[in-house]
Amino acid sequence: MAEYLSETTNKADPVAAKEELLEECERIWKQMEECQSKLMLLGAETVAPSDAKLYLLMLQWKALTVDFNQWQTRNPELISTNPDVLLELGKEELQKVKNDLETMLSTVQSKNKHLEEDLKREQQWYEEQKQMLETLNKIEEEVNTQDEHPSTKRELNELETKVLKLKTFRKELLTALGGFLDEYFPLPERSENIKKKNSSAEPVVELITLQEILEMLINTLMATPHEPYITINESFWPPYIELLLRCGMALRHPEDPNRMRLQAFHK
Amino acid sequence: MAVLRPFDKLPTLNSGTLLLVGPDEALRQQLAETILQEKRDFNISIHLATSLPLPSERDHLRPRIDLIVFMIDIKSKYSLKKVECSLAHVDASFFLGKVCFLVTGVGKVNACSIEMNAVCKLGEAYCSPMLFCELELEDTRVATAQRLVRMLRICAGHIPGVSALSFVSLMRKSDDN
Repeated sequence: MAEYLSETTNKADPVAAKEELLEECERIWKQMEECQSKLMLLGAETVAPSDAKLYLLMLQWKALTVDFNQWQTRNPELISTNPDVLLELGKEELQKVKNDLETMLSTVQSKNKHLEEDLKREQQWYEEQKQMLETLNKIEEEVNTQDEHPSTKRELNELETKVLKLKTFRKELLTALGGFLDEYFPLPERSENIKKKNSSAEPVVELITLQEILEMLINTLMATPHEPYITINESFWPPYIELLLRCGMALRHPEDPNRMRLQAFHK
Repeated sequence: MAVLRPFDKLPTLNSGTLLLVGPDEALRQQLAETILQEKRDFNISIHLATSLPLPSERDHLRPRIDLIVFMIDIKSKYSLKKVECSLAHVDASFFLGKVCFLVTGVGKVNACSIEMNAVCKLGEAYCSPMLFCELELEDTRVATAQRLVRMLRICAGHIPGVSALSFVSLMRKSDDN
């Protein structure tokens, strides 16, 4: 109390009010000195560790009871009846309250902002979840409606018939090709070979038909697309090789003249 | 003066005095500096002691002690013993809210050599609040300093209507019987 009052004496009070307050301070200080000297006479007591808790709790209880009685009998008293003093004190109090409320306001505002941001984020997440759920539902529906056809077996049968058809078609094409080649691109006559043999000791080589050459090329290209080259050997009749190369149906290997491949028409 | 008494001197104007008792000088110094850096509107004077009783030669220079903080380092059994010995030199009326125990070094669980149980029992036996902190970390150190400054204000009587005793009754742990 003494400290509190002394702060207000710095303001521009009329002299009388100041005197009044100082007298009040002096009075209270004297009271304190009396109390203190009484306390000094009581003497000191230390606490034994063994029953410290009980002793201290009893002491606390006694002190609290006395405190309580004091508060009961006490009436709120005015610090002073001087209006200037009261005005200054009132101003200080209101200033403090204002500061406290301002801090509280800023804290609450920042908290609100955080909560709003959280709310926005949660809402976004919720929307995304809803959309995901809808998409999943749609997919589920589609899958369900598909399952309604007694489909699998029928599809399999359809595929099998398709494959059969394609195979027969392929066979027909190959036979037609073979027939065409035999008619228009036959192998040269044997007799010529024998004649050649008698004149120059060239070995007899079994020539293979153009159809066979083409088959080899096609099979190599289809079976091993990374290695579509075949080696030209003596069973290939050279004019037919030239024919294939000139028509653009076959290509030589860029580095090795003894190898060739079929042109990739299917790509 | 062998026994420390709470009201053996008249108070100093607009100030509070804190007594830090603990065997570790570096920790005391650290805490004292952090406390003095706190923003406040009254004077704080801090007295440091390894143990009680305080040397009687300087008795007349010492102001009235408002709050005693016993610092126990959880890494050393010696600090606990020293504090227990010092407690015998404190007047019983100090324990009505003007004593506080501060346990430091709680950040490193591996280095505990005192049981937490023993420390908590001490706090309960002397009916005084127990604060835990790790002085190495700046955040907890500053927070502890703030708490101590607030307690000091109450113990020095700067807050009208709140006495040290009523405050300490409010600080009871919830699981206290």
